Amino acid sequence: MVRSLHVMIMYVLCHLGLIFFMFPADIIASTEQGHWFPILIGIIVHFVCLLTYMKGLRFFPKKDILSIFSKSKKRVTFLFFAPVLLYLIMAIIITVRAYAEIVTLVFLSHTPLWTIILLLLSVSAYISSKGIEAILRTAFLLFILFFPILLFVLIMSFQNVDWRYAIPFDTDLGFISKPAYFESYFAFADGFLFLGFVQPFFSYERKYVILSAIFLIPFFLFSVYIPILTLGQATASKAFLPFVLIVDSINIDWLMFDRVTMFFLLSLIAFIILYLSLLMWKAIRIINYYIPKSRPSYLLFGLSVAIFFVCFWIPDRKDVENILFMNSFLRSYVIIVVPLSIYYIGRRLKRKDTNETI
Amino acid sequence: MKLSNKKVIYLICSLLTMVLILSGCWDNKDINHRLLPVSIGVKKVDDQYLVILNIPVPIDGSMETKIVSAKAETVSKAVDTISRNMESDVDLLHVKLIFIEKETAEDGINDIIAGLMRSRDVSPKALVAICDEDLQEFFNNIKINAEKKGLSTYNYFEKNAGWNPDIALTRVWEVFRGIHSYTHDVAIPLIRSGKDTTMDQIGSAILKRGKMVEQISSNETLLYNVFKGESGNGKMEVMEHATVMLLGSKTDNIGRLVNNDAHMESLIKMRVVILETKGEPSLNLIKEEINTLISERYNKLFTKLQENEADVFGMGQFFRNQIPRDELKNWRSDYFKNMKININVKIDIQNEGYLKTT
Repeated sequence: MVRSLHVMIMYVLCHLGLIFFMFPADIIASTEQGHWFPILIGIIVHFVCLLTYMKGLRFFPKKDILSIFSKSKKRVTFLFFAPVLLYLIMAIIITVRAYAEIVTLVFLSHTPLWTIILLLLSVSAYISSKGIEAILRTAFLLFILFFPILLFVLIMSFQNVDWRYAIPFDTDLGFISKPAYFESYFAFADGFLFLGFVQPFFSYERKYVILSAIFLIPFFLFSVYIPILTLGQATASKAFLPFVLIVDSINIDWLMFDRVTMFFLLSLIAFIILYLSLLMWKAIRIINYYIPKSRPSYLLFGLSVAIFFVCFWIPDRKDVENILFMNSFLRSYVIIVVPLSIYYIGRRLKRKDTNETI
Repeated sequence: MKLSNKKVIYLICSLLTMVLILSGCWDNKDINHRLLPVSIGVKKVDDQYLVILNIPVPIDGSMETKIVSAKAETVSKAVDTISRNMESDVDLLHVKLIFIEKETAEDGINDIIAGLMRSRDVSPKALVAICDEDLQEFFNNIKINAEKKGLSTYNYFEKNAGWNPDIALTRVWEVFRGIHSYTHDVAIPLIRSGKDTTMDQIGSAILKRGKMVEQISSNETLLYNVFKGESGNGKMEVMEHATVMLLGSKTDNIGRLVNNDAHMESLIKMRVVILETKGEPSLNLIKEEINTLISERYNKLFTKLQENEADVFGMGQFFRNQIPRDELKNWRSDYFKNMKININVKIDIQNEGYLKTT
């Protein structure tokens, strides 16, 4: 079944959910001026990895990345997939915990953290238990419901910009050594990993995935530049969630709602729930591959309960940030090693095939 | 589709848990148990903050105003104290105005603003005003006036209600930016309680890095708004030979750095309508009069600002690409103080009314 549109929407949504929260603060913390440069490097890395990954996957039509390795020994491939699995689980923990905290920070200030963690986990576990088909269909629905709202808020957030804050354009390479910069890759990292998992269920055209990656470029830029243009670097670097602060200061006389932040945040949380369900689905696929006898729904339940307790056990935000930084190493594995090895195996396979026919 | 008994039980259980966690009603307080103040007054009394809240209370279809106050080490503590003493919970979500007493502002309001920005409930788009009399007295007068005439203080600042172009509209996030930005200060309306009207505006306070350093008149505030691009719509200008009404304005600024000295060229274009004349002045005479009036006022204002090193116009913005970031930090003291400003005013008389001017 060809489902290019669904894959495209899924791709856009899970990135959108990640872009607007931690990404701006990380980029603003990593450099003093010329923010376009770190963003651009991030985008280039993203494109290179994405293209390599898709090129590699093209050698294996109708196969997902787990079955690509089906010929080799399971124990060997486990070494390959263990970091991926660990990364996915850590990503779930970080996302759940960080977003639960953002929700309490922005609107549910009296609500205890665990209820929000429970909500995020249970809804996403439910969606992911229904399989990839359901996830993609939910993505389609959420896109129709929430994307116009998001776009409206984004356009409105230009209200107070002063374009002169964008200069000076020149920049330096100092950001490369900053931990915050590596944390910013959280927004790029595993949005494309799912492309390797959906293959046997339905295929997609590469062109559309590239199109949606191009579609995301302005969002990456604006998420950082709108706070910079409104507040200036010196002030924006003081904010924990710069973009949310900007959305909070939007003043629209004719709108009957006082704070558009709520709409903005709720649509992004919906996207994040979707992203979480995708992460869970991938993790369960990997676990299920190695423990084929277990029922996926039990695994899912176990995983969510474990994650719930881990999230609950993390004492405060500083620790979340530490985990996010530690996760950088696994993340670079996921975005660099995985695409490259898939590509390499694919190339070798192709060469072998052509040799055999001769 | 027929559901088995087991499935029905599952479904009911999950729906019930959904009701519990999705309602978002975690220890919530109903609206009738909440007090929603529209304005807060803050005053510093020997290292403690006196916080006064103005709470509209609907009684029998009419609005009554309740004034409550408390003293504590921090603003939020004081709000908490009030909340504790009241029968309902004080919720700062809908605060529209923040009044700060003049002496407190002269001492610096960095902590208050930082607290407001950090707090989860005061919107960063609430307006800030400085009160030129005893805060307690001011709030009492507001109460008396509001009860007599049913005026709401907020309308005074509403752009679609009582706002005039000689009132500076400054929001909490702008004050916050003024504290941290290298090149931006703010002007804040200076308010007193009036005899016949709820409030009298007596000009604006100039805040430099969060400290009130100077006071400007209403006329000068108009110039500030014109320069900022808030159109000076509807404002009358009285001169020797004519009265004109401002329709709109636009400024073009070019900043140049010559031998490390800042030079500013400003061209202010104004569109006016002639309302009244004395005698029979020619159009050119009227234009000239406006021209001298406006440029004199601007020059006077700039001298005042330069003496105080307070860049409320954000002139530094025009030099951002010429001054390196390290030196931009000292923009106020190194460059702005000695900046040469050349102001040209261009007047377009759009309309003369039903009578011709000879």
